[in-house]
Amino acid sequence: MTKKTKSISVIAAVVAATTLAACGGSSSGGSTGSSGSASGGSANNASASKGGTLYYTSNKPRQTWDPQRTYTGEGISLEGRLFSRSLVQFPVTSDLKASSTPIPDLATNTGTKSNGAKTWSFTLKDGVKWQDGSPITCADVKYGTSRTFATDVITGGPNYILSYLNIPTDKKTGLPVYNGPYKKAGQSYFDKAVTCSGKTITYHFNKAWPDFNLYLAALRAGDPYKQSQDKGNNSNYTVFSDGPYKLQGTWTKGQGGTFVRNPEWSSKTDNIRKALPDKIVFQEGVTPEIGVQQMISDSGTAANTVTTNAIPPASFSQITGAVAKRTINPQSPFTEYLVPNMLRLKNPKVREALAIALDKNAYIQAGGGSKMYAPAYTVTAPGILGFKKNATFSGLPDSGDPAKAKALLKSAGVKMPYPINLTYPGGTPTSDKQFGAIAAAWGQAGFKVTLNGLTDTYYNVVQKAGSTWDVCWGSWGADWPAMSTVIPPLFDSRPNLTPTTTGQDYGSYKSAAVNKLIDKAAAQTDVNAAAKIYDQIDAILGQDYAYIPLAIDKFYRINGSNITGYVNNPAEAMYPDLGGIGVKH
Amino acid sequence: MFAYIIRRVFSGIIMLLLVSLVTFILFFASPVNPARLSCGKICSPALIEQNSKALGYDKPMIVQWGQFVKGIVAGREFPEDASLRKSAPETIATCPAPCLGYSPLNAETVSSELGPRIPVSASLALAAFVLWMVFGISFGIIAALRRGKFLDKLLVSAALVAYAFPTFFIGLFIYQFIALKWGLFPVPVYTPLTQDPLLWLQGLVLPAITLALVYLAGYVRLTRAFMLESMGEDYLRTAKAKGLAPRKILFKHTLRAALTPIVTQAGLDLGLLLGGAIITEQVFNYPGVGKLAVQAATTYDLPTNVGIVILIASFVVVANIIVDVLYGLIDPRVTLA
Repeated sequence: MTKKTKSISVIAAVVAATTLAACGGSSSGGSTGSSGSASGGSANNASASKGGTLYYTSNKPRQTWDPQRTYTGEGISLEGRLFSRSLVQFPVTSDLKASSTPIPDLATNTGTKSNGAKTWSFTLKDGVKWQDGSPITCADVKYGTSRTFATDVITGGPNYILSYLNIPTDKKTGLPVYNGPYKKAGQSYFDKAVTCSGKTITYHFNKAWPDFNLYLAALRAGDPYKQSQDKGNNSNYTVFSDGPYKLQGTWTKGQGGTFVRNPEWSSKTDNIRKALPDKIVFQEGVTPEIGVQQMISDSGTAANTVTTNAIPPASFSQITGAVAKRTINPQSPFTEYLVPNMLRLKNPKVREALAIALDKNAYIQAGGGSKMYAPAYTVTAPGILGFKKNATFSGLPDSGDPAKAKALLKSAGVKMPYPINLTYPGGTPTSDKQFGAIAAAWGQAGFKVTLNGLTDTYYNVVQKAGSTWDVCWGSWGADWPAMSTVIPPLFDSRPNLTPTTTGQDYGSYKSAAVNKLIDKAAAQTDVNAAAKIYDQIDAILGQDYAYIPLAIDKFYRINGSNITGYVNNPAEAMYPDLGGIGVKH
Repeated sequence: MFAYIIRRVFSGIIMLLLVSLVTFILFFASPVNPARLSCGKICSPALIEQNSKALGYDKPMIVQWGQFVKGIVAGREFPEDASLRKSAPETIATCPAPCLGYSPLNAETVSSELGPRIPVSASLALAAFVLWMVFGISFGIIAALRRGKFLDKLLVSAALVAYAFPTFFIGLFIYQFIALKWGLFPVPVYTPLTQDPLLWLQGLVLPAITLALVYLAGYVRLTRAFMLESMGEDYLRTAKAKGLAPRKILFKHTLRAALTPIVTQAGLDLGLLLGGAIITEQVFNYPGVGKLAVQAATTYDLPTNVGIVILIASFVVVANIIVDVLYGLIDPRVTLA
């Protein structure tokens, strides 16, 4: 998922950069999965005990609490830890490997695959209940999945399963003939594709899906949903819990709400969530500028608060001493990269010169420094299975080498200075400075850069087929920790390129070799085998300069002094993992 | 008088219709496709088309506008899908009149989004209005009566200084220092009037002062200028010559004449503010219409944006009508015909 598409769409997220995320993880590569300063405050190792009230503050309002609609890293994390259990889940940990390894949640194991990973089965645990005391059944799990197919009612959610479940498609639209539980067209096909036998649910796919259990653990789209509680679009903020907390009263968008313990939840059936606080109060609309002052003062409820607000650069000077010990600075799961327009920059030497001259350090510095970014060497994030730095880019200096790039450009036989239209999401002094820094280095290398900072029209421009920009900006985070949610969405030309749009393949990159390898990877029944093929693909992408890695975004936040058990969990997209957080009381 | 009011209401309705049409065209003609926004990350053209149809965005612009206007008068249902209504009526969102549209991004009708926010913005606007009218007019009168004296210079200079500072600066200063750092006043939190009147008032004090300070400065200058203008009128000289008491001259003749333009300005300002004080609500985290406007704008929530524009325009139009009617009551020279 792109950093700027972490909401529900590519376009909307230009402005939602720091609030929304997808799954997958990142870190500096250390075993803790975190980087930067302290990992959660001085109270991090305090003994975890139950009780107290935790406050959770954020700026932007939550757009949904519907598991099948949620498509933001923060929303996915919160739902999974609070009220929406999955067949399998990721554990509460900062360990890079463990955080991307699913463990059983509602199911008795992590799933049994057969038929070349085209069939997956899960059996529900005994004693798992909804908040009204009724048992969670196979039918509930099946119903949850069915909601994803109602794409005109349950809008905005992850829709991967539409192309996997063995359901015929409409020849005219290409969409599955089953359109969800509301209109029920094609219901019989769905009933054959997802079957229940007692407590065992079996999914039948039309192609191999070796990382299906990663999908289930990383997103909430496969979670159960109780049909009697479903009012489609009208259930947007309905919380019907099978987790440790339930919503007290109603959720008020823009203000928040309070979660209290769900007495029907039992730790005997759940060894993932510690459920430490008695109550969790969500406060929305807290601006970073005001919120950080409250957090620094650590007075009142601020001491019991975790926040998703980034510390504004203007407040960096206040982060010293004891306050600094309460900050966290992990790498986010989002990688920023530049995209050469393959239809305009046809000479590979020109693209290579751009990569060689790229001054990542200047970009990072202009964007707030090492608290905000780390240099990137590939398009995938470190937490992803099979992550490897791309050899084409890892040897290049972070500050660029304009002299070498200029020599290469000369040897390319092109007219110099070579004109480049650099299109980026602008509108802020910071972004203008960042891309100005890139332009300056490219200028030294013999390019004549025209900066084209766009605001709300950015994705409309870069996704338009036949656009006239030469290089644009992109950002992506994996939906689950596998490269199948990075490489194909970004570089498989077949689903992306249409006569009118480039989809996510902004640069119109088209390679038969890459597409063939994507098919080969998709046919693998083992995720590790697939990861090796994706590494091969990434190597080709590097050689073709289909993208140029820029930076990995970092989160810089502050916790209250009473917070315990804070971990930077890549599986939770580095958002506060409420599965383990408690408060001293 | 009655005929005048009817005429003004009728022209107000025409104006609102035009505003809605222009807003509708501006927003829906933008390159941002609302159907794309509700489609998720990996969204095929077929899915966009399906969503577009479900949301009614596939229809011609004028038809969409017609449906919008119909919704304001008679209410609507979302989605307008006969097959869904038959198979799963519980999923249909009912939007009673005046229906301002439906936000697919928030899966909520715009009216229900605005509903709980209007009292917040209204509370803030009215509290600030009372402050700036009472103090602004009082200080303006004092400055006019003490023209050229120290008090006049002090009040005018102070007004200029206050006017020079932008709202966000005043708000941030008050919030950070008075509430947070020095703890002189509780951190403002909005509490509905019906829940606890005292807390409602307490939560309003700092945001209302912030908002009032900016307006107050303008009203001091405005009142002073119109008072001075009135004080030079011939009929006041006559009143003095007739031996009327100075207090009577001030309140019955001078101020009354000076009030007409002030009321005009106040009506417009209040009308606009009822639609949300964007910066103040943002700084103090007040869940009003202004804050919703920012959220809607930054998430390209077009239907909510359209709804907010219509709401604000309605307040301004109504305020204008009220002001026009008040003219006749304040200034006997004005006749409503």
